[in-house]
Amino acid sequence: MTKKRKSVLSDQRFIVLLVVIALTAIFSVMSKEFRQYNTLLSLLDFSYYDLLMAIGVTFPLITAGVDLSIGTGMVCYALIGGSLIRNYGCPVIIAMLVCVLLGVVIGTLNGVLIGVMNLPPFLATLCSCMITRGIGSLFSATPWPGLTQEGGWFHSIYKLTIGSGRSADRYPIGFLWMVLLVLLMEFVLNHTKFGRYTIAIGSNKEAAALSGINVKFYHVMVYVVCGLFVGLAATAYAAVTPTVQPGTGAGLEMDAIGGVFVGGVAASGGYGSVLGTFVGIYVIMLLKTGLPYIGLQANWQQIITGIVLIVAVLIDILKEKKGAH
Amino acid sequence: MTIKKLIALGISATMVAGMAVTPVFAEEDPAAQFDGLTANEAYEFPMMVKSFQSTYWQAAVKGMEMAAEELGVTFKAQGPNSESDIADQVNMINTAIAAGPVGLGLAACDTSSVLEALQTCADKGIPVVTFDTGVADAPEGSVVAEVCTDNAQAGSVAAENMYAAIKDVVANAEGQVIIGEINQDATALNIQQRGGGFINKMIELLQADGKTVAVAGNEFYVNAATTADATEADADVVIQVAVPAQTTVELCSTEAQAILSKENCIAIFGSNQTAAEGVLAANSNLNVLGSDAAAGDVIGVGFDAGSIIKAAVQDGTFLGAVTQSPLMMGYYAIYALTAAANGAEVSDVPTAGYWYDATNMEDETIAPNLYD
Repeated sequence: MTKKRKSVLSDQRFIVLLVVIALTAIFSVMSKEFRQYNTLLSLLDFSYYDLLMAIGVTFPLITAGVDLSIGTGMVCYALIGGSLIRNYGCPVIIAMLVCVLLGVVIGTLNGVLIGVMNLPPFLATLCSCMITRGIGSLFSATPWPGLTQEGGWFHSIYKLTIGSGRSADRYPIGFLWMVLLVLLMEFVLNHTKFGRYTIAIGSNKEAAALSGINVKFYHVMVYVVCGLFVGLAATAYAAVTPTVQPGTGAGLEMDAIGGVFVGGVAASGGYGSVLGTFVGIYVIMLLKTGLPYIGLQANWQQIITGIVLIVAVLIDILKEKKGAH
Repeated sequence: MTIKKLIALGISATMVAGMAVTPVFAEEDPAAQFDGLTANEAYEFPMMVKSFQSTYWQAAVKGMEMAAEELGVTFKAQGPNSESDIADQVNMINTAIAAGPVGLGLAACDTSSVLEALQTCADKGIPVVTFDTGVADAPEGSVVAEVCTDNAQAGSVAAENMYAAIKDVVANAEGQVIIGEINQDATALNIQQRGGGFINKMIELLQADGKTVAVAGNEFYVNAATTADATEADADVVIQVAVPAQTTVELCSTEAQAILSKENCIAIFGSNQTAAEGVLAANSNLNVLGSDAAAGDVIGVGFDAGSIIKAAVQDGTFLGAVTQSPLMMGYYAIYALTAAANGAEVSDVPTAGYWYDATNMEDETIAPNLYD
């Protein structure tokens, strides 16, 4: 069901990639501080959890659904994991697995509510958003182990630090895992039954059901996969956030969902790509990181990010109109 | 009797601190008004905290428990899921007022949203004691006393201690130098006062040594700094104030990083736990913070506690930090309410903010306030 694109130039992903390059160039010219390796490191550090959430939520968005519980869910799992480590002496690896497992559980809950019980996705995930936020605030603020503390090895998954203090070399190897995950999920989306059915559900659910697809099952799986990635995001979030604060997380989903739309997922469902999500998230990250460097105050940062989103969605709608004629 | 001992210790600590350990206020002890206080009845007070999410509020509740036990009164602590759930808190307050309590303790998430509820209290004659956060434009006759950190003073304590460490660097600087300040917002009164207190004290200290100062960045703080005497282009020292779009560690970190990566940045202040942790997150890649300014370290100063900030103070990443005393705020809030319920006149109880660094973290006067 993927629409044929005429040339690489009309591919939104390519346009967005140009935007990434243009933003990088603009910020680098306007601020010499931005042109530092450390800036790139920080940008990447904070991009992993956004990207993991975004990869996950790409699938519900392609089915014309949404998952609003990803931000609060991620914080909730990170809090539970952190408190297992701090209060119960649980090994970090188990805490990480618990995060992923919790993601899958909440994902399944969302999936069943939406796919089997036919609740509107906005409503169902709004409820799970509240639930995860509430559960999260039952815990007190919990820092995961720091890099140099016992159990701090998990930071090395995302950023390899060799040496210590100022002489340390830091390598953002998390980016490599992200590229691999993006390629894997792009393959899953386009070349597996699960991926094709995801797109089919987004294009026309009734037709998909009539053609013999087990729509209920695959619809549930879409949210399970989303939950799985949110669980992974929780571990990336714990690696960069000194103290995970209870009751927070609302609003984080908007960066991820915004990134997916910038990356060209059709707002009406039925089309999308994980590669698009990948570049889309880096547009959001560049805006978040770069605008303070050129001295723009916070309110302007939000305004500009909002405008960029409108433009991205408009491009998509205009292209769809053109395609329809 | 360990609790009584603890309390005695706490009170004498406050008094000693008031006199000796970097005094935040040097007036006479405002707690003296509660000498010999007993409750006329076994009162029960609803106590509205901003949330239970941080150990900060848990320490405040602990202080309430201590006071309640001493006075033979009870209280019921209530709070929304997070400090930004303003409407939830207003609902809780209204429900509590409807039950007609003898007094109400309030730490308002949003000061303007509670005005109507405070008016109801004034009409019904329910005395209100605000703690942690004051309500500046409270209706006449509602708030009988405030139990709050003197935030302007607490901010100035951070400036004084920071300046002592960077004085020589500023004096010997060849060009312009930058001092950063990260405030998580420009709307909450306590952050405004704290941020402003830091800026004003820093300007005063710099000008006393013959330096010209400009304040740049967030409009609110720039406009509030009326004593700045130079433009950003030609000042000897620029105080660069950043406020993130949302109160997250991530966005505080991005703002901190933009300031810290400037070559002429010599010091930075994070004015609450989130902002200070943002500074530390930025430093995790930059590695510029340290306690030896002469050797080129950027001097970092934090606010509040929590295990991350405590660890940074311990290992010298932060020069030090200023802590409030949530325990004493909760404690005096119950005392003030009991006195008010007895029908006595009550006056405000400003509580101290203390400077702490690696050398005094374990002191009896400091340690109880350093929540995890």
